[in-house]
Amino acid sequence: MTRFLMLALIWFGALFWAATASAQPEVTVTLDATPTEARVGEMIQLEVRVRVRGGRVQSLELGDLRKYPELQIISHQTVRPMQFSFGFGSGVQVESSLAEIYVLQPTAAGTFDFAPAVARVDGKTYQSEPLTLVVRPSMGISPGVDDDVDLPSVAEEGELSGARFDQHAFLRTVVEPKEAYVGEQVDVTVYLYTRLRLAPQSVTPGKPSLDGFWVHDDPVTSLHGQTAQVRGAQYRAYVLQRSAAFPQRTGELTIGPPTVTFDVGSTSLFDPPERIEREGVPVTVEVKPLPQPAPANAVVGRYDIRAWLDRQDVSTGNAVTLRVDASGVGNVQDLRIDLPPMAGVRALQPVIRDEQRFQNGKLGGTRSWEWILIAETPGAHTVPPLRLVFFDPKTKEYGSASTEPLTFTAVGPAKPAPPAIAPADTEPRQPSAVFGPIRMYSALSRGQAPVHQRPWFAWVLAFPPLLFVLVILGSSTARHRERRSTTTGAVQRKLLRSAENALRSDDPRAFYDRIVGSINHALDSHLGQPVAGLPHAELRARLAGAGFDDDLLERVINELEGADFARFAASGVNRDEMERCLERTETIVERIRRSSRSAS
Amino acid sequence: MRGRRLLLFILVSAASLGSQGAGAASAEASLTEIFEAANIAASRGDYRSAVANYEVLVEAGVRDPDVYFNLATAYAQSGDYPRAILSYERSLTVRPGDDKAEENLRAAERALEEKRAEAEGEAMIQRSSSAGEAIYGRFPEDGLAYVLVAANVTLFGCLAWMWIARRRAPWIYTLLAASSIVFVFSAIGLGQKAGIFRDGPRAVALGDHVSLREGPYPQAQIRGQARGGDRGVAVDRDRDFVKLRLVDGLEGWAPASAVGLIDLDESVH
Repeated sequence: MTRFLMLALIWFGALFWAATASAQPEVTVTLDATPTEARVGEMIQLEVRVRVRGGRVQSLELGDLRKYPELQIISHQTVRPMQFSFGFGSGVQVESSLAEIYVLQPTAAGTFDFAPAVARVDGKTYQSEPLTLVVRPSMGISPGVDDDVDLPSVAEEGELSGARFDQHAFLRTVVEPKEAYVGEQVDVTVYLYTRLRLAPQSVTPGKPSLDGFWVHDDPVTSLHGQTAQVRGAQYRAYVLQRSAAFPQRTGELTIGPPTVTFDVGSTSLFDPPERIEREGVPVTVEVKPLPQPAPANAVVGRYDIRAWLDRQDVSTGNAVTLRVDASGVGNVQDLRIDLPPMAGVRALQPVIRDEQRFQNGKLGGTRSWEWILIAETPGAHTVPPLRLVFFDPKTKEYGSASTEPLTFTAVGPAKPAPPAIAPADTEPRQPSAVFGPIRMYSALSRGQAPVHQRPWFAWVLAFPPLLFVLVILGSSTARHRERRSTTTGAVQRKLLRSAENALRSDDPRAFYDRIVGSINHALDSHLGQPVAGLPHAELRARLAGAGFDDDLLERVINELEGADFARFAASGVNRDEMERCLERTETIVERIRRSSRSAS
Repeated sequence: MRGRRLLLFILVSAASLGSQGAGAASAEASLTEIFEAANIAASRGDYRSAVANYEVLVEAGVRDPDVYFNLATAYAQSGDYPRAILSYERSLTVRPGDDKAEENLRAAERALEEKRAEAEGEAMIQRSSSAGEAIYGRFPEDGLAYVLVAANVTLFGCLAWMWIARRRAPWIYTLLAASSIVFVFSAIGLGQKAGIFRDGPRAVALGDHVSLREGPYPQAQIRGQARGGDRGVAVDRDRDFVKLRLVDGLEGWAPASAVGLIDLDESVH
């Protein structure tokens, strides 16, 4: 029944289809550069992109790029992610994106104005916003904060720190600081110095080994070259790798030599590019223990800590969530907080989330703990203050942060506790903020048939139309009866009933009135004209003309004459005579009706 | 004698009901433990263990949007984007309009596209999106069913009133028109949700390259390929093969293990 109704309405879908089929495509054209201001020799990523929904890209042009030979095209990539969408009501929808990504290296300073990029989609033209690139002259500085100190000039014959010098290309590892406390951040940066014309997309760096360190990489997404003077020669220096390394033990820790391979561009079309390999030198870091006396569980960094409960009142046996956030500078993955045992409260294993980020070159972030606390006994329960002790390498002093005590109240009778969950023996969690977060609560509902698939649904849906049909039928019957009650037969019956009532109430005058009325009404219906008031001779002639047989004719006339007489001499009529008169009248009326039917 | 039999019957019935109730309670407790264990594993980054535990819940008949959401997130975090897409779709089917699930689904699709575009230069995911889904996407199936019943009662109530009453007030026409519109809207929506406008349950290709063959056997000729995350409809099933019709019309038999059904409890025709 349900499906039948739905299919009957399918044409509505056609309306949707017609509406969407005529829709215009949605087009977005963008022209962006990263960065929009750079120095000569630095890399600029220029991206022109068109996103289309419901149409097809015919062309995408950025004409001004050829106008500027000062912007050397280092690489060019075309990316076409695309989605097709088909389905009822919408026809075919294509959601596509075409992107042209250029890596440019300016060779001269200046301002480069780009007219809007032009895309043609389904015969129509769409434009982006214009773009301006500003290129400033190179300052000829060396990369790294300590390059002026560490890079010897050509006149000096000293050893180049963290590097094995090569006149064409070499790797250099810069470590800051070279002497650190255990757990303190050490910045490790690997540079490639080269005088060769390398192809940036071919550069494949190999990470140095960092045994004894916990490492968090600050990813290098593109190569940005800067000019550096080394021993009188001009080099291009590129950052290949940048990491925050946290020493995990004291003593002398060695950072292994980095490696790199890259292609050097050929001078003609027929010469293959030359592959260059380089290896750097190991660098050592002196790691000191924390100043004594060191408090237990002290970590390195600077942190604030705060805690809160998701509710203050709970039924006994139910849970509250305790959330603790520790935020600051340092390796948040070193942070440990142990929840002390609380009487009458069972704590599940905490869910720990880390959010790490670089700020001004220093790694920091937030570590969050989420404990589910189950109140097993009624009453007030207090979460004691939670304390975090840290050593700040900047001030070389210990500090601490702690939370306020938190209280919640359990009401209701105590409930038996379910068995505790065994902690999972797993590998360390990889932080990610792209998906999730994991939902800690679920109704764990089972699969149930949808309402429209349950047996009662069809009946419920069919009930109103069925009821409507019954209403129509009932109403029609009532109206038919009403109409029928106004017909001849009904009037006839009413008159005879009325005569019967007059007989019962011993009212001869009224009785004979009804008798005369009843016979006259039957004759009126038969002849189609009124007969009341006609002389009996005239009536006899009309009835004879209408085909009444002699017997019926005589009976009708006699009965009318008798009734007329009795009406005016009512006192002389007895009850038996009236009953016989009623029977005779009923017979006469019935015979008149039958003769009417046979005539029709 | 009759009284004793009655007493015995009552005692046996009560014991039977009690044991059933205890069994159900212990099953619920067990599911809760599995869910909590999965959450803890996921929070620690042990996505393999988390996925295994969430899958146990799904196999146990749990059709909960939060379980599907967490399963999808665990798959996404471990880089299995097609299975993440499948589970996010299931979560949205059970609880339409879940903004976070929609956001995560789009993120998983983007991640899969970008991963593939980086490796192959271009990426294409076939995704079904119709006007029906756009309009009714945020309406729950049961909600539409109840609205349909209410509109049905109102519509025929108005018709009956108009038939019976001699005098027809203007408001009855307004109510009749409104209930007719709601009736049609909810009927089409329910049809959309129930899948009467498509040929089978919605499906997602799970493997990176899923071969679509002429017949339901491994040696059959290959017609084409579906890529992980591609949407389609499972139009037929034969032993361990599912006939998958992609949204671009390509149709072929794929191993059932390489195809995930979004409408888990909808049978293949």
